[in-house]
Amino acid sequence: MVKRKVAALEKIDADFASLQYKIRRDPKSYKDDFMKQWGQYEAQREIFFMSPTTVAADSVESFHNMIDLIAHVADCYPEETRTFPDDLKAIVSENHETLHPELREKVVGSLVLLRRKEVIDSAALLTTLFPILVSSRSKSMRAMLFQKILNDLRNANSKSTNHPLNRTIQAVLYNLVTADRSSPRAIWAIKLTRELWKRQIWTDAKPVDIMKEACLADNEKVIVGGVRFFLGGDKEREELEDESSDEEIDLAKVRHQITINKKSKKQNQAYKKAVDKVKRQEKKKSKPHPLNFSALHLLHDPQDFAEQLFTKHLQGTKNKLSLDTKLLILQLVTRLVGLHKLTIVPLYSWFIKYLTPKQQSVTSILASLAQGVHNLVPPDALEPLIQKIANEFVSEASASEVAAVGLNAIREVCSRQSLAMTETLLQDLVQYRKSKDKGVMMAAKGLLSLYREVGAEMLKRRDRGKDATMGISHGTMKQRKFGEEEVGGIEGLDLLAKWKEEQRERKLAEKGDDASGDEKDPDADGFNSDEWEVGSEDSSDSGEWINVEHSSDEDEPAPKKRKGDGKDDEEDKENAQEAAAELERMTKLATTTILTPADLAKLQELRAASSVQKAMGSKFRKQQNKQNQNQDGHVDDGLTAENIEAPIRLRKLTKEEKVALAKEGKPDREEHKSTTAIRKSKKEAAGKSTSNKEKQRKKNFLMTLGKAKSKQKRSLVETKKVLRGHVERSTRGGRRRNGT
Amino acid sequence: MGSSAKKKKEKKKDFQKPKYKVGKAAPKASNFTDTSFKSRAIVMNQQSLSTAAPDAVQQFKHNLSLASSSRNDKQRRDALAYLTSQLSSQPPVNPVGTNNILLKVLPLISDSSTPVRSQLLKLLRALPKDQAKHSVREAITFIRAGMTHLSADISSDSLGVMEWLLDVAEDELVAIPGGWFKTLKTFCIIMGWSLSSSAAGWTSAPGSGLRAKDAQVLARQISILTRFIRVGLKPPTPVPWSPQDYWDNLYRIPRDPHAFEYLNLYGERRDEESEMYASPESRQGVLARKFMEPITKGIDKAKKEGGAVGRAVAGLDQVLTDGMRDYNGSDSQLMTDQWLLDLW
Repeated sequence: MVKRKVAALEKIDADFASLQYKIRRDPKSYKDDFMKQWGQYEAQREIFFMSPTTVAADSVESFHNMIDLIAHVADCYPEETRTFPDDLKAIVSENHETLHPELREKVVGSLVLLRRKEVIDSAALLTTLFPILVSSRSKSMRAMLFQKILNDLRNANSKSTNHPLNRTIQAVLYNLVTADRSSPRAIWAIKLTRELWKRQIWTDAKPVDIMKEACLADNEKVIVGGVRFFLGGDKEREELEDESSDEEIDLAKVRHQITINKKSKKQNQAYKKAVDKVKRQEKKKSKPHPLNFSALHLLHDPQDFAEQLFTKHLQGTKNKLSLDTKLLILQLVTRLVGLHKLTIVPLYSWFIKYLTPKQQSVTSILASLAQGVHNLVPPDALEPLIQKIANEFVSEASASEVAAVGLNAIREVCSRQSLAMTETLLQDLVQYRKSKDKGVMMAAKGLLSLYREVGAEMLKRRDRGKDATMGISHGTMKQRKFGEEEVGGIEGLDLLAKWKEEQRERKLAEKGDDASGDEKDPDADGFNSDEWEVGSEDSSDSGEWINVEHSSDEDEPAPKKRKGDGKDDEEDKENAQEAAAELERMTKLATTTILTPADLAKLQELRAASSVQKAMGSKFRKQQNKQNQNQDGHVDDGLTAENIEAPIRLRKLTKEEKVALAKEGKPDREEHKSTTAIRKSKKEAAGKSTSNKEKQRKKNFLMTLGKAKSKQKRSLVETKKVLRGHVERSTRGGRRRNGT
Repeated sequence: MGSSAKKKKEKKKDFQKPKYKVGKAAPKASNFTDTSFKSRAIVMNQQSLSTAAPDAVQQFKHNLSLASSSRNDKQRRDALAYLTSQLSSQPPVNPVGTNNILLKVLPLISDSSTPVRSQLLKLLRALPKDQAKHSVREAITFIRAGMTHLSADISSDSLGVMEWLLDVAEDELVAIPGGWFKTLKTFCIIMGWSLSSSAAGWTSAPGSGLRAKDAQVLARQISILTRFIRVGLKPPTPVPWSPQDYWDNLYRIPRDPHAFEYLNLYGERRDEESEMYASPESRQGVLARKFMEPITKGIDKAKKEGGAVGRAVAGLDQVLTDGMRDYNGSDSQLMTDQWLLDLW
């Protein structure tokens, strides 16, 4: 009997999964079945549209199934399903409020699926979903839509940046923010922008512009979102980058596991994937680091922005913002002022009324004040503020913490604009260094050391210290005038010059020992030593870097110095002056020569070494360094309330902090085990196997019995064979032959 | 190694299957906990002790809601049976109105249980014909959904409902928006007469070598399609003139369902598919333009099958030739319709 040909779907009743599978495998043959389902879909849609709000659960479910099926096979019949995406769009954008939650989710999911199958494009999808996201009242729906939109944007930008799409979406978001400034809808624009900024998908000025508009909105939530972005968005981005670069794959481990476990296609694929990933990571590493500007730097016209923020949200009395929001805005404004050196004069007088110890979160306000000061702020504007802080905070009657906070705040302000301080006030404040309280004492000392550097003339003679007194008498130390800028230089260049000098001297000395008459040594005139391989005349093959001939005035110091060495040091002072002049000349290094990469590397090394040396120095030095570090953290980082408050060391520690301190540097052990046991369990947890010896030791005694018995009964010939075999194996490297 | 053997036995015990014996209860598991309890009285916390039984109206409504929303298919069937008995009693009991009943029970066309569907058909037949015709639009939508259902049983059962609808309101059926075009399209789809002629040179596998059951279903489909087309193409019966007509037309509200449907005041814009084709001429035009080709192809194929299918198809062929005899391709009215549609 001939087997009858079985028509499609004859056997299985109402099984969408198998139908979908078959259609996807062979769209042409199953066209009739598909058309029937398409008819069913149309009928269901009609039923649905008769009364979208009051549909029975059954018909919702069947409609749900139909949408699912057709979305999955839509790419097989593009002609027949031409209207499908538009239908879905219409359904979800008109009825999303009333739709059954599951059906709603399915429709959105199907649209995304169609996007993935490239039936519709990203712009169409996003312009459908975004209005729903903004207007929907269902929380779960919004969360899902947000996720889908984000994912789609990420996918669209995964291979290369999709500029047209980004521009469209950014325009939509911008319009959303600016269209109605008082509505909370703009929060979605902020969320989306922040997320994409964090993932470095959007890194240009346009998203910053969106956020800028958000900051100037009328809705408090929106304002806070925008301001928080500027204050924390970049840090978030850096953290994410650090996180993503952490995970590394150990290829050797994967390879090893393949040799042990059963070989399967799946494992092979996993290995290939791992190799791919490692390659990609390596490629990423070798790529030049993308230059990402922080949002604060990408702002267009920061002066205008800061002024608007200040006048709109802070200055007026009408605004109803909470104190927390105001503080955030204040932080942003002052950060902008400090970073871009803006001039907003009314800002400083605005501070006056908040500078009392009873003001809520005054430390944060003080930090903002200090952050908003830079060397181009007129000292007249700051003087009353400092006076007020001194009067309100720093007095014998006030609590020691308050006094410390006041002194710290004054120090921070003055470190940015030292001219704001008057002589009498400074001398008064410096007296507090004799205070009994450690916090106050340290704060006062900090102020003292600051003014020893920037304005020693204002201090009393006995407070100036050795360096400052000497500097004043030599005339090298002067207080800078208003608006005067420091001459720039390269940090650590003098170190490099000194090192080169030493290097040359050492070489000369060696040469002198070897052959005193050999003056024509090529290394004698250049300080590009061979160990750096660059720039010396003989290494002509490394032609990438041009070797610059050194001018004669740089060659001069060497003989001079030698002369000095050779002579008896009778005139110390003259010598010292000479040395200073020499150093000055050497710092010209940068202006007269081109630094090779090797030079730069050495410079880096020397810088690191000197910083280590500084850190290793005396206790006093260490303390100073720490303060310096506090002062000259990165310019982009703002000042926080913690910098103003007394250092953590002076506070009483909480219990958790104490425990954490005690635990620091100790291995974690949950239970009291021997070290070997801990090590062993660690090894096991890492999936490593035991050694051969260990296996032998663990083997069941009964299993070893037979071998032991037979060993005794072996004949001499057999023993010989075994021994020979053993020797041979050991020469070959074991049964498995090492290396083959 | 005695101890080892003993251990082995003990270990084996864990994996032994329990032995079942005929007529005896299954052995209890080792961790069985007896949860049965004895009690002298059962206390019901909430018990309604109303002397009055629910009245007939209440009961009818309750059964109607059961029929449409119960999860249990037996319950649904019983509820439908109750409704049928109420409707077919003399005089019929129907407190909610035919339209409301229809709205509730029509979704059951696609019900998964066969007894429910057959009971539904009985219920439909028990409904008064002149009132049922007001819900033609809803009915035909659900019937189309049923006909294209993935399950063959449901799709063949919905043919019965289609027959009922033809009995009840054949003239309305072909004239309502979408009633002609969409229904014809559905018929073509379920019989596998492909509308798009893109697959030139390809033969489709199903359709050849039908089973007896499939052939029966196909014959039934064809015969119902024949009836549908006959209704659609039959010339309108002239209404006998009466002197009252003139005044009625001026001053009385029309009595037929959806009297002003053709104005389409509230609905969305209609395309070719959901347009209403009120006159036999326009229906002829649609049939000739869109469906003639696949239907004639299908007829040719089915004629070769012979048997019941062949006989049914012969009827269809006859109806088509009769109906299309007076059709000439360039009907001016049709052309304007088409032209207007194209303008949109």
